[in-house]
Amino acid sequence: MSKKTAVQIDDLTVAYNYKPVLWDIDLEIPEGVLMAIVGPNGAGKSTLIKSVLGILKPIAGSVSIYGKSYEKQRSLVAYVPQKGSVDWDFPTTALDVVMMGTYGSLGWVKRPRQKEKKAALEALEQVGMLPFKNRQISQLSGGQQQRIFLARALVQDASIYFMDEPFQGVDATTEIAIINILKALRKANKTVIVVHHDLQTVPEYFDWVTFLNVKKIATGPVKDIFNDDNLTKTYGINYKVSIQK
Amino acid sequence: MSSAQLEIQLIASLVAIACAIPGTFLVLRKMAMISDAISHSILPGIVVGFFITQDLNSPLLIVLAALTGVITVVLVEQIQKTGLVKEDTAIGLVFPALFSIGVIMIAKNANDVHLDVDAVLLGELAFAPFDRLLISGVDVGPKSLWIIGSILVITVALLFAFFKELKLSTFDAGLAASLGFSPVIIHYGLMTVASVTTVGAFDAVGAILVVALMITPAASAYLLTTDLKKMLFLSIFFGVFSAISGYWVAHWLDASIAGSITTILGLLFLVVYLFAPSKGLIAVMYREKQQKIEVSLLTFLLHLKNHTEENERHVNHLREHINWQKIRAKTVVDLALKNNMITIDKHIVSLTEKGDDFTSQAIDYIITNEDAQIEDMKDDFFLFRG
Repeated sequence: MSKKTAVQIDDLTVAYNYKPVLWDIDLEIPEGVLMAIVGPNGAGKSTLIKSVLGILKPIAGSVSIYGKSYEKQRSLVAYVPQKGSVDWDFPTTALDVVMMGTYGSLGWVKRPRQKEKKAALEALEQVGMLPFKNRQISQLSGGQQQRIFLARALVQDASIYFMDEPFQGVDATTEIAIINILKALRKANKTVIVVHHDLQTVPEYFDWVTFLNVKKIATGPVKDIFNDDNLTKTYGINYKVSIQK
Repeated sequence: MSSAQLEIQLIASLVAIACAIPGTFLVLRKMAMISDAISHSILPGIVVGFFITQDLNSPLLIVLAALTGVITVVLVEQIQKTGLVKEDTAIGLVFPALFSIGVIMIAKNANDVHLDVDAVLLGELAFAPFDRLLISGVDVGPKSLWIIGSILVITVALLFAFFKELKLSTFDAGLAASLGFSPVIIHYGLMTVASVTTVGAFDAVGAILVVALMITPAASAYLLTTDLKKMLFLSIFFGVFSAISGYWVAHWLDASIAGSITTILGLLFLVVYLFAPSKGLIAVMYREKQQKIEVSLLTFLLHLKNHTEENERHVNHLREHINWQKIRAKTVVDLALKNNMITIDKHIVSLTEKGDDFTSQAIDYIITNEDAQIEDMKDDFFLFRG
C-alpha cells in the first residue's frame, strides 16, 4: 500500500497531574481507513483524540495532520465528542447544533448565514433528522442526539473525522444508520477514527484497528491484527473472543 | 414622577440589563455561585482603588475591582485543580477571605467616608441621583447612570460580536477548542464582563442584589423557553420589570429599593417555577399524573389483548384481576372508552380495532425503543413525551 498518511503521532505523552495516561504513543493513520480505537476504560482513548485536536496539551510529542500541525489543518478535521460531554437541556434546537459545525470555517465574529443554514439542513437530511430540525435537543432520544452530533461533523465537510463513542446509548437502527454513513465517508476516501467499545462489531464495521492501553499495543488492518493475542495484551486478562472473521 | 425618581428607575433598569446578559451564560454554565463569589471578593479591589483615587466613581476603581474578580476565579480554579476540594468548597474558601480583607481595610482606614459595609451589601440606589457628573460645569446626569450605561454598551457590543462563540463554548467547550475558539479566552472574557458589571452595579445595588439580578432573571427565563435568544430577552425583561416595580414597591412601603427589587425577583421566580407551561412544578405534577394514568391504561389494554376468555374481561372481575382500587379502575375504563379503545357489551370488555392497534404500537415502542412510529402518538399521549 502506498497510501498517504492522514494522521501522524510521534512520541505522544499526556499526563493528568503528572500521572501519564498516554505513554510514548507512535501512530500512523493512513488516509481512507475506517479505524477503531479499542482498549479498556482508562486506556486513554478519548485522551488520544483530544490531544490530537489540541483540546488537551501533551507533555511531550507531536501530532501532524497531512504533514502539518493541527492548528494549520483545522479545516480538514471534524470532531464528534462523547454525547455525555454536553448538557442536552441547553436551550437550542437540532438545526442550531448542526449549524455549530460551520462555525470553524466562519472564524471569529462572523455569523452563519443562508449558505451555512443550507449546509446544515443537508447534513440533517443525510442522517435522517430533517423532520426534527426545530425540536429542542432535550426532546430527542439518545440515538437522535447522536445523529445530530454526526450531522454537525458532516457539515464541516472535513477529510478526517474523529468520533468519541458514537454508538454509545443508541438503538440498533441508529447504529446501522451511523455505520452506513461512516462507510460512505470511507468510500469517499475520508479517514474516520472511532473510539469503540463493542469488540464484537469491530471486524464487521472497521478495516483498521488500534489497540490502546496507556501504551500503543498494536495498529494495523483488522484482518491481520484483530486477534486474541492482541486483545489479551490490551485487556490484561486472558481474552478469548470467538469472532467470525 | 420627579426627575430623581426617573433617574433611579433608569439606573436600576440599566443595571438589570447589564446583569441579565452575563447572568444568562453563568446560569447555563452552571456557574451561578461564581457571581456570588465575584460580588463579594471585589471589595478589596474597590477599597484599594478608593484609597488611591479618593473617588468612588473613578475608572481605576472599576479596573482594580474587575481584576480582583478575575483573580477570584483564578484562585477558585487553582484550588479546585489540586483535586483536594470540590468547586463549591473552593468558592466558599476564596470569597470570604477576600471579602474580609476588604472589610478590615474599610474598618481600619475609611471609617469617616461614604464607603461602609452596609452600602457595600445593599447599595445606595436612593442616593445615586445626588452624585452628578459635571462636564465643564454642565450637569449631564448622575455618575452611576453614566458608569452603568458605558458598561452596558460594552457588554451589548461584546454580546453581538461574540454571541456565536459564547453559545458554542457554553454548549460544547470541546468542539469550541477543536474549531480554534479558545474556550479559555471566552471563559475569562465572560468572567471579566461579569466582574466589571458587578463593580458597576455594586455602588447602585450592592453585593447581594447584584447576584439576584444576575441569576434570578436568567433562572426564571430558563424555565420558560428553549431558545437561547429568547432566554436572553426574557432575562432582560424580567430584570427590568423587577427593577421598576421594585422601585415603586419600595416607594409605597418606604423601604429599601434594593430589598424590594430582590423581593420582586424572588416572587417572580416563584410564580414562574410554579406555573411555567412545560417545566413548571404544576405542569410537571400534572404530566406525571397523566403518565401514571396512561401506564395504567396500557396495562389494562394489554390485559385485554392477552386474554380472550370472557371471565377475564368481565367488568366486575377486572378489578380483581389487575388488582386495582375501584376509583383507579373506573378512571382507566372511562379513559379507554372516551378514546374509543374498548367497547363494553353485556359487562364484557373488548378491545376495539383502534385499541388493539394502539396497544401493539405502544408495546412495540417500549420493546424496541424505536422512535419513528411513535411520532403521531406523541401529541395524544404524555407517556411517550419522555
